[in-house]
Amino acid sequence: MKNTIKNIAALFLIFIFSGSLANAQGWSVPSSAKKKQNPYEATAKNISSGKKIYNLNCKSCHGDPTMANMLPLAPVAPTDLGSQNFLVQSSDGEIYYKVNKGQGAMPTFEKTLSDEDKWMVITFLRSFDKNKKERQQVAEIKNPEVTDVKLELKVNEAEKNMSAKLSGVTKTGKRVGLQGIEMSFLVKRSFGFLDVSGEDPYTNEKGDVQIQFPKDLPGDREGQVNMLVKVTDDAFYGKLEEARVVTLGVPTDPVNPLDERAMWGTRANAPIWIIVTFVGGVVGIWSVIFLVLFQMIKLPKLASKQD
Amino acid sequence: MNDLPKQKETTLSFEKIKKDILHPMQNHKGLELWIVFLIAVISVCGWAYYIQLKDGLGVTGMRDYVSWGLYIANFVFFVAVSLVGMLISSILGLLRIDWITPISRIAEIIAVAFVAVAGLVIVLDMGRPDRVLNVMIHGRFQSPILWDVTVITTYLTVSALLLILPMIPDLAICKKELTKASPIMKKLYNILSLGYINTPEQHKHLHKMIRTLMVLIVPIGLAIHTVTSWLFAATLRNGWDTTIFGPYFVAGAFVAGAAALIIAMYFFRVNYKLQDYITDLQFDKMGKLLVAVCLVYLYFNLNEFLVPGYKMKTGDDVHLKELFYGHWAIMFWSSQLLGNIIPIILLVYKKFRKPLPIMIISLFVLAGAWFKRYVIVIPTLLHPHLPIQNVPENFVHYYPTAIEVSVTVLSFALVLLIITVLSKIFPVVPIVETAESKGIEVKIDA
Repeated sequence: MKNTIKNIAALFLIFIFSGSLANAQGWSVPSSAKKKQNPYEATAKNISSGKKIYNLNCKSCHGDPTMANMLPLAPVAPTDLGSQNFLVQSSDGEIYYKVNKGQGAMPTFEKTLSDEDKWMVITFLRSFDKNKKERQQVAEIKNPEVTDVKLELKVNEAEKNMSAKLSGVTKTGKRVGLQGIEMSFLVKRSFGFLDVSGEDPYTNEKGDVQIQFPKDLPGDREGQVNMLVKVTDDAFYGKLEEARVVTLGVPTDPVNPLDERAMWGTRANAPIWIIVTFVGGVVGIWSVIFLVLFQMIKLPKLASKQD
Repeated sequence: MNDLPKQKETTLSFEKIKKDILHPMQNHKGLELWIVFLIAVISVCGWAYYIQLKDGLGVTGMRDYVSWGLYIANFVFFVAVSLVGMLISSILGLLRIDWITPISRIAEIIAVAFVAVAGLVIVLDMGRPDRVLNVMIHGRFQSPILWDVTVITTYLTVSALLLILPMIPDLAICKKELTKASPIMKKLYNILSLGYINTPEQHKHLHKMIRTLMVLIVPIGLAIHTVTSWLFAATLRNGWDTTIFGPYFVAGAFVAGAAALIIAMYFFRVNYKLQDYITDLQFDKMGKLLVAVCLVYLYFNLNEFLVPGYKMKTGDDVHLKELFYGHWAIMFWSSQLLGNIIPIILLVYKKFRKPLPIMIISLFVLAGAWFKRYVIVIPTLLHPHLPIQNVPENFVHYYPTAIEVSVTVLSFALVLLIITVLSKIFPVVPIVETAESKGIEVKIDA
């Protein structure tokens, strides 16, 4: 009896397993969709923004491209999207279709990502394709192996710009600038950070990158803002960041909603009309009550008057 | 009025009126027993309150979702019943409707007892009752809670004055007639009667004061219930977020108050043998009044439930379905049917407006009114706009604990005790006014 149940359970599991396996393999893409072309060029900027979108939306399951560190899901693990195998088999249109539709554990991104975002991701993935002649080398600039990586900030308050310098010490003991590394320039908000890095925050051949601070960003009363500058991708040199208070914002008097007279305010900031109505009502009605109480004293006197 | 049986009033004299009304106050044996019973109930339930005070509000069924439970529903009910004082002695009094003369004092006693305990119920609902004065000290003018505390205090004061002032001539009689009263009571009668000997000046002066208060209590009476409704309607919660909540509560209060008055009238008529004073006429008229206010309330209920029910807005739909055919359906429909619609139909017939039938119907109306308050307060709280994640099981249901039920019983016993004590030390039917209304000469000795 026990064996029968076990057998049935095993059969059932195999059935489910094979069913989902068949499902995963049979991902057919219409030929019209396969022919779709990527309208975006493989520029450094596009690849970089594609990488950001990939890291946010795809990396948690697919892992880093070419690293084969995807999430070990059963029955079918996610594909390494940077593998040459995948890139050869899939056209841009095919990847676009699969991202849009999703299947099984792969969710649909039709509504959650814009078309531009999706093409950026495909541009980024295609940058790993060894067959693509026109692929940009920017993403793979080789820096020498360095130690003691330093991040230096320079702030020009008059021009409202700031620059960062990323450098490291080579084996020969020489300090050199690190090239092609993406930096993030972040301003602390009430919640989270505002990215003010601009269009092209990559270090140049000297390891420098300069950004223009927005002219209309509000600071505190003195115009101070909390900046956080960091190397965007921790994968290169580990966590590397520097926080600094800079006077680049527009001096702003903070508005506290509790300062104005409002229904939500403290008692001292109650709207005038409500204070007048309440106090007026209480004073008016209680005056009449006290008037009546006062009149009661007259009653005994009125009795003696009769005599 | 013509279709009513003629009262046997030919034999009434001032002496007989005095005797009829004053006699049961001192010679009613059951009364002491009843008071002892009420004190016993209060003591036992007081123990429950002591546990709540000692261990905190955790001993109640109230949690993060339902933070206003049985206590607040009961509070709203008590405030509702207290509105009868303003309806009977003030509105009908100012309209010079004569049949209310013998029952106006009972109405005023009910008002004082219920509004006093309503205020106390709020204190019973507090985890830290020692901080109650903070409402006054730190209260915000924008908060309906401050308005509510203010208006309840004011209504209690004016109701107490409206109980005492018209009673001054009667108290002067008590001072003379109740020779067996204890020295303390004699002193009380002496002080409160304010040397009244019914001179024309005194009479005129007294009635001027009473009329002033009668006018004054109309806005206060409307305010007390409107503001209580604003405690709910000033939020965005489904079922409370409605513009007619003020008049809806006022209309409901008239229903509850009128029903409570009819029940009290019946018991005083029977126990104090006041058949010659609280006559079938009073019950008949009160029955018609109850139908009138029930119809107004029914109209408001129609607006309150039919209009949102027609639209079924998101949020409202969950709430209304729970009321109409969900978890609260039995309570909701029995309060509507047994507490409003069926009483209207029955009371249209004259035979149901006789003392006993109308008293029984009023019991249903009053119970319906109580459950209606419960259905207003709790279901809304069970569906917050921003649900908490990983909510413990006991947040999403609310069942009053034995402690809560006991403390609520305490509040009812306290109301009954106040009514009983007031009716033991004060004449429940106005002696002088009754005599005056029957054209009998009133004489009060100095």
